[in-house]
Amino acid sequence: MRRHLLGWRIALRLARRDLLKHRARAIIALVMVTLPVLAVVTADILIQTADVSPTEGISRRLGAVATAEVQIFEGRQRVTQGPDPLRDWVAGDELSRATTFADVEGVIGHRSKLAAPTSSELVVRTPHGREAVAAEQADVTAPLARGFYRLDGGRWPAASDEVVVNQAMRDRGVGDTLTIVDRDGTESSRTIVGTIVDATRRSGEVVVGLPGTLPRLTDDGMGQGWLVDGPPLTWSQVQRLNDLGVLVTDRHIASHPDDYPDSMDDGSGDSTTLQVAALIVVMALIEVVLLAGPAFAVGARKQQRSLALLVASGGTPAQARRVILAGGLLLGVAAAVIGVAGGIGAAWLLQPVVQRFNASWLGPFDVPWPHLVAVAAFGLASAVIACVVPAWIASRQNVVAVLAGRRGDAKPTRAFPVLGVVLFGIGVLMAIAGASGRGDLMVAWSAVVCVLGMVLLVPVVVSWVARAAGRFPLPVRFAARDAVRHRTRTTPAVAAVAATVAGVVALGISTSSDEKQNRESYTPNLVMGDASVTPDYGYLDPRPDRPTDWDQVADVVREHAPAARVSPVVGVGQTSTTSWVNVVFADPARTAEDEQISPSSSSSALGTDVVVSDGAQLPSLVASYFSADEGVAETLSAGRAVVLTSDASQTRLDQVAIHVETSDDDGPTVSTPAVTVPATVLYRPDDDVAPLRAILPPSVARRAGVPAATVALDVAQPHLTTEAQKDLQAALQDLPTPAGVYVERGYQADAYTRIVQWVLAALGAILMLGGTLTAMFLALSDARPDLATLAAVGAAPRTRRRVAAAYTFVVSFVGAVLGMLVGFVPGLAVTWPLTAEGYSGSDHVGPYIEIPWLMIAVVVLGLPLLTAVVVGLFTRSRLPMVARVG
Amino acid sequence: MSVKHALLALLDEEPMYGYQLRAAFEERTAETWPLNIGQVYTTLSRLERDGLVEGGDTDDDGHQIYKLTDAGRAELTDWFGSAVPRTQPPRDELAIKVALAVSAPGLDPTAVIQRQRSATMSALQGYNRLKRQTTDLAYELVLDSLAFAAEAEIRWLDHCDARLRRVADHPDGAR
Amino acid sequence: MNAPETRPVLELAQVTRIHGAGGLAVHALREVSFETYAGELVAVMGPSGSGKSTLLTLAGGLDQPTSGRVLVEGTDLTAVGSAERAKLRRTSIGYVFQDFNLIPALTAGENVSLPLELDGVPTRAARAAASTALGELGIADLADRFPDEMSGGQQQRVAIARAVVGDRRLILADEPTGALDSVTGEDILRLLRARCDAGAAGVLVTHEPRHAAWADRVVFLRDGAVVDEAGEPMAAVRS
Repeated sequence: MRRHLLGWRIALRLARRDLLKHRARAIIALVMVTLPVLAVVTADILIQTADVSPTEGISRRLGAVATAEVQIFEGRQRVTQGPDPLRDWVAGDELSRATTFADVEGVIGHRSKLAAPTSSELVVRTPHGREAVAAEQADVTAPLARGFYRLDGGRWPAASDEVVVNQAMRDRGVGDTLTIVDRDGTESSRTIVGTIVDATRRSGEVVVGLPGTLPRLTDDGMGQGWLVDGPPLTWSQVQRLNDLGVLVTDRHIASHPDDYPDSMDDGSGDSTTLQVAALIVVMALIEVVLLAGPAFAVGARKQQRSLALLVASGGTPAQARRVILAGGLLLGVAAAVIGVAGGIGAAWLLQPVVQRFNASWLGPFDVPWPHLVAVAAFGLASAVIACVVPAWIASRQNVVAVLAGRRGDAKPTRAFPVLGVVLFGIGVLMAIAGASGRGDLMVAWSAVVCVLGMVLLVPVVVSWVARAAGRFPLPVRFAARDAVRHRTRTTPAVAAVAATVAGVVALGISTSSDEKQNRESYTPNLVMGDASVTPDYGYLDPRPDRPTDWDQVADVVREHAPAARVSPVVGVGQTSTTSWVNVVFADPARTAEDEQISPSSSSSALGTDVVVSDGAQLPSLVASYFSADEGVAETLSAGRAVVLTSDASQTRLDQVAIHVETSDDDGPTVSTPAVTVPATVLYRPDDDVAPLRAILPPSVARRAGVPAATVALDVAQPHLTTEAQKDLQAALQDLPTPAGVYVERGYQADAYTRIVQWVLAALGAILMLGGTLTAMFLALSDARPDLATLAAVGAAPRTRRRVAAAYTFVVSFVGAVLGMLVGFVPGLAVTWPLTAEGYSGSDHVGPYIEIPWLMIAVVVLGLPLLTAVVVGLFTRSRLPMVARVG
Repeated sequence: MSVKHALLALLDEEPMYGYQLRAAFEERTAETWPLNIGQVYTTLSRLERDGLVEGGDTDDDGHQIYKLTDAGRAELTDWFGSAVPRTQPPRDELAIKVALAVSAPGLDPTAVIQRQRSATMSALQGYNRLKRQTTDLAYELVLDSLAFAAEAEIRWLDHCDARLRRVADHPDGAR
Repeated sequence: MNAPETRPVLELAQVTRIHGAGGLAVHALREVSFETYAGELVAVMGPSGSGKSTLLTLAGGLDQPTSGRVLVEGTDLTAVGSAERAKLRRTSIGYVFQDFNLIPALTAGENVSLPLELDGVPTRAARAAASTALGELGIADLADRFPDEMSGGQQQRVAIARAVVGDRRLILADEPTGALDSVTGEDILRLLRARCDAGAAGVLVTHEPRHAAWADRVVFLRDGAVVDEAGEPMAAVRS
């Protein structure tokens, strides 16, 4: 044992001195390991800070003072809850009588209590019209309410006609008086006496008033909650309260969820989460190891003479190996320490930036030490693992050859490329298995296996390139041959690039295919850029008992969108709030209920699914939905109805039976007798989402007793920004018969997806550059004697630049091509099941495969060329004039 | 080998008589080149004739003491200032022997060369043994001279050996 | 000189080493037998490719013969594993190479104490032994210098100190003067000679006859075989 430690001591001393001696190389390796650690630590701290933990969140829910919140569930049922009812609770048996607060006090004793702040929606009048905002009601000055709001100016509300608002509300231009619209449309005004900062919301509008002073337009149905003070509650008290149908949020219990039994936690999803975590760690480890690999490989090569001397002085191969591993150990420790410290610092500096982009308030600066220890261990592990192969090679070197001044590399084992092919094959099989239903995780692991297989194949590919390089100009030939000669340095660099590109390509394929699926399966409600205006009563109750004044609505729309062409849509209108009118189409020969003629699905962005039109002024959506050869306009002008069906056999019908059913909550009440009218029945496949079910000419509608009225406005090309749309909506809500506007903006790529794509692309580019540039730098410093020889025989100074550029290109291009090939496997495998989900029984849907060729071209050709050019431009062109030895 | 200049150099250090000169000479050169006393006196009289030395006083035992004249000192300075002329190769016999061995029928020239090499090496070892026993710098330098000469001979023998082997491998006479 | 010993420190018996196989096989050594006794310095000479260096690597256990036996102080290197051979290099065999003999990351003292430390000797004791060895070679003041702060001759002295530290009795020197000027080279040879006179057995591979002549015996190798010897074999002297 002591012998063992002694061996490590020498190894550590040698490694430390070597690192200090070759600072540039040490720094490259250090940076490669430190950066990921630093990035992960920074991200982790920022996420932990942004993520409000139970402990932090509890202060937002209980304020600064209260011990607990008890909430008597209105459902008059027993409840079962976990430590935090916000996360999980279920209702159980019904209780014989309603629980009162006295019952609660029977369990927890008499304590001071305060009605917990209630949150609901509120409609207010702004200069733009009527808008829905958030409202909270609380006795804001009570001791138990401390910590919910912070007064930022003015004073707290003291009377029922006083409120405070946050800055976002003020920004809507409300001035000092806030007009509030109650459910019945009556307005009342409140004086804004102060500005507050809400503990949770940052960018949304908030109005806070004393309890009972604001109308509650929405209700979560949970019942009033009470904040209580006094000693913390025990778990048995919580359970007794649960039996009374009371939910308890105790500050201590909710913030220490792991200390209490959670009957709700079924533990599902844990193994998946664990696997995903393992997968991410493994992939990151591979990438970091490959990135740091070249520096360690060069370091090991530079130390080969020292190691040979060590062996000649009686060192064992294990002791020689330890010298290299000790280098990794030292750099790993340094990287872990620097990365963690730097990460904490960076997170501290970045905190305000993140806050700017976040709608909620960040929690307190939160340093998750257990995570950081894990990340530090990861850094250490990656540095040591990056050393394993160089160390192994170093311990296998031919000592005699090295001492004689020759390269002492042991012959590369033939078995490795074979193993590489086998691994790659296994990876492909795993991917296929994963694609055919074994799950995404299988596909992800297949990517890992493929990458490992590829790493083993890199030397073979590089040697092919070198063999093919015979015909290329000198710098390229030089670079390619050098790459082969220094396999241990080239392989990890190429593999790092390849692994990165593989990831980028795989994710690129899956996201663009997913995007394609979303785009192609998106059903527009209207023609792109058009808008529709339909009645929208908001929280208004009772609704006005008169039909929508469409002229008034149209005026408002024209006012906000002067360029738009506004035309009314006539169709079957819903005239009552308590009943529902449905037009039924059927085969006149069979009028059974299941013989209705109907498309399988239809939307009604036009405010109706049965349009009444003579064909002359069809809404643009309707007009564009039918193809010209279906002759819809002609059919309608000929007095025939147009009816859609999902049953192809019904297209033979020449006429249909129409009757109108009026239903209420209890079922059909009135049904008009069926009237048979001439009609053309058009087939629509199952996966088609029709904008309507039928179009009736006015004559047919009249004959069939269909109640036709204007149901919406078709607004063609209003050119509304989202901001203008918000103002128009506010104005429409302000009408005596309020309406809402919908603008068709087409498929909107999820902002989150797009951010993810950009981040991935940037990360990929950085990793590629990192891998390539380190390898290039190391290659150049290795090639000094060779470049000196070139200079001696009269090479121009720019040769050095060209060699550098060529080396960069060879490494990144070979890596990118390999990575592209590898990336296709998991990319396609994960996309297949992801996008193959369509409506059952349809054969028109998926899998949607879109290969982002442009992105791949940029990554595989563009980036290597760009890097090579940049390297060529910025490399010092002075050739070293040193002798070969010394 | 210039006895004349050697005597001038010794007389430059201090005036001496004939026997003293011979002893000093042999001491410096490690008796490598034995000097006949007759040759010393012949040389001295020739030097006196040329005005490079002059016979001065006799010592108590009646030995004639010689000392350097100014002309002699100038001659000595000239000698130290000029290179020793390269005349005949010093080891004619060996070179001729090897040359003859190469062309002699039924004789292995390599064996001749190796025998000579061992012998020269033994001599070289002898010089080194002497070097280990002395601390006199002048003596060591003379031994070095012999050692370097012996080494040169061994190197030349090595070279002959290599050439012979080359010829054996490529009888066409490739160089 | 130490008490007479009849057992040679190094003994090569009928050693053959063939590099490669088949048509490309190169006979580096052919049935070479060779002995070195304590107190004896043997020089090995021969043209390049004659097998001089192979002989040294075999003697140090860095390589294994194709056939024959190599004994160091009675241990047959061909019969023990690589770990045991490494141990022998720490305890019995010292190497001195032509140049770049020292590990650049270690000071002179650390280089000298390396074999001892590798063998598990506590640092303090190893350092003490190293400074004694450096002192014997007259370079005690260089203990804390790094190799690149020393001249070539100083480096070789340190290398010799490393080769003898810990009472090792077999010094294998491969062209130890190759990179030095003639005076420094001769100093190194005198040191080696002195170490052998003090009881070590030395094998010196060199192509410089002057330096070889410091040996008691000069062995001439040619095409992997011993063709001649100059000087008296110690065994002959003893018998």
